[in-house]
Amino acid sequence: MSMRTRLLWPLSARLLLLGAITVVALFAAIRMGAVSMSTRALLDALSAHGDPATVTIVRGLRLPRALEAALVGSALAVSGATFQALLRNPLAEPYVLGVSSGAAVGAVISVVTGWSLLCVWSLPVLAFAGAVLSMLLVFRIAYSAGRRLDTRVLLLAGVVVGSFLVAIIWLVLTFADTESVRSAIFWMMGSFANASWRSVAILGVCLAPSLIILFALARPLNLLAIGEPTAAYLGTSVERTKVVALGTATLLTSASVAVSGSIGFVGLVVPHAIRLIWGGDNRGLLPCAALAGAAFLVSADALARTVAGANELPIGIVTALVGVPVFVWLLRRPAAGLTE
Amino acid sequence: MRGRTTGAPHAFTSLRRPAPVLSAYTRDKDGRVPLEILVRRAALIAASATFASSTACGGNSRAADTAASAPVSSAAIQITDDADQVIRLTKPAVRVVSLIPSATETLIAIGATHQIVGRTRYDVAPEIRSVTSVGGSIDPSIEAIVNLHPDLVISWESDRGQQIRERLSAAGIPVFILRTEDTTDIFRGIANIGRLTGHDSAGRAVAQSVRATLDTIRHAVAGRPAPSVFYMVFPNPPMTAGPDTFIGQLISLAGGRSIFADDSSHWPNVSMEEIVGRDPDILVVPVGELNPNSLSRFRSLPGWRDLRAVRTGHIYAVPADLMSRPSPSIAAAAHVLEHVFHPDVDGIHSTVHRTNGARP
Repeated sequence: MSMRTRLLWPLSARLLLLGAITVVALFAAIRMGAVSMSTRALLDALSAHGDPATVTIVRGLRLPRALEAALVGSALAVSGATFQALLRNPLAEPYVLGVSSGAAVGAVISVVTGWSLLCVWSLPVLAFAGAVLSMLLVFRIAYSAGRRLDTRVLLLAGVVVGSFLVAIIWLVLTFADTESVRSAIFWMMGSFANASWRSVAILGVCLAPSLIILFALARPLNLLAIGEPTAAYLGTSVERTKVVALGTATLLTSASVAVSGSIGFVGLVVPHAIRLIWGGDNRGLLPCAALAGAAFLVSADALARTVAGANELPIGIVTALVGVPVFVWLLRRPAAGLTE
Repeated sequence: MRGRTTGAPHAFTSLRRPAPVLSAYTRDKDGRVPLEILVRRAALIAASATFASSTACGGNSRAADTAASAPVSSAAIQITDDADQVIRLTKPAVRVVSLIPSATETLIAIGATHQIVGRTRYDVAPEIRSVTSVGGSIDPSIEAIVNLHPDLVISWESDRGQQIRERLSAAGIPVFILRTEDTTDIFRGIANIGRLTGHDSAGRAVAQSVRATLDTIRHAVAGRPAPSVFYMVFPNPPMTAGPDTFIGQLISLAGGRSIFADDSSHWPNVSMEEIVGRDPDILVVPVGELNPNSLSRFRSLPGWRDLRAVRTGHIYAVPADLMSRPSPSIAAAAHVLEHVFHPDVDGIHSTVHRTNGARP
């Protein structure tokens, strides 16, 4: 740990603050929207009273959407923090192993074949399958280079497999009709417009055990960040930690990508922002990143839905436009330091 | 920001017959959304073909006769196109490449089928199936066009259209740019295409006949309460047709009221929330040849499934090929819409067929 002056809050205080911010963000998100309503009407609608259209808007559209944004924000931030610790690379992010491209191949296939029109679930299922297959391919390549899992080889394999899959996507889209291309590109830009209670439930079921596993790996991840030999001396089962953490983080990312498309920037910047404020101890970083990621993506989605009227902005535009200035400001603070 | 128009009167609902037209084959046991009107393409093509011939013959039989043979006039032609460029032809074009499917339909309707030497991959009319395809509307192969030695190319009003014009002009091929946003554009387009190809009088006759059909429909639905309508151009993000597009104009002409008639843009993206807030009586979904079954998914999509139109089964599939072509087929399109909005009006030559054989 560096000796820089960081805010030395106890973990419980940090979690309480971030939890409060998340709740406020969630409330603001269901308060804002194309159709305006009073707080009174909103509270009525939340308890399923009042105008049926308002109830549908609040309980059927806004609430699942805000919750899905929160879950995806948590998933991406935690998996980004995990990748950065494992790969010892500050530029690592959740999509570094080609997961988003793999998911996009699945999504594009589902759109172009028309299956997504026949069955609502074909797109997320195929996207998830594509993401997992690309992850397995990347691991296979990384292992074929040696018996141990070399994270540098893994990174390279992720990049080249990703490029290959992107080429496949454009090859397919070149021969697709205009409407499919439009659907596919919209999906690739990322959006929570398709959020439903079912997708929230599925995501929640994937998220809970993954978060527990990764939180439990926080200490080994700390030791790995120092170096693999050191971690091994100190009693960490290095190979197992790497495989379990990488696998869990990638599955987490795959589930998020499958329901909402690839949303950039959250997994990269939220963990760094938490590190800059409170330091890089993964035991505090991972849970804080989970809450901060949720609050950030919920707010970003609320902005994306409302700033341009009915023309919803792609969520990635908002995360970058809002996130980059905040991040630059954090970097420029005197106490800032990107690495430990 | 758009103003709120909630609280619109829903008088129409109560005026409807107690059982909606479709409930006869509503399969509520498994909760399927009934497709009230499903137009099969075969029926549609038959209808529009009948329509095209009836307009050409009924209006002006002489025009139809001459249309089948060579172009009528042979004097030099000078027309300003929709991008304000003057197109000069020494004689009517006899080798035409149409990059716009609706212009292709216009050419067929005015009897210039045999003058079409190139089409796009989007054309569906059986008359020109054997004509060479030059690719897409905005991404045609310039080489393929040049190779056809056309004396006229008809292209979209767009940046891409201008680029195509630039490159074809260098090869000495005149390009006529056509705008197709509203019905005025469509009538002007029919007249211009008629003049360019030497079918002036047939063009006038077709336009006259389309006008007459639209007038008939307008009168038939006059005074009837207009159901509120959401016309879904694209599902996600939801997009509809603005009031100044030909589709928007046809909706109000056929006695419907678009819930986004206050949106001034042509093809506005709208939010699911506002669709739910404005809760239309009727949901109109243009579908292509392959995916009429896709309507059932609205039953399970959040937002859509809560719409009154979906719950009560007033969700209608209309043929996309017919609805989205700004050509003389707007007359048939208006008939489809009239039938959807006012099923009890007896159309003289209705083009809509219910396809469910189980109906009594």
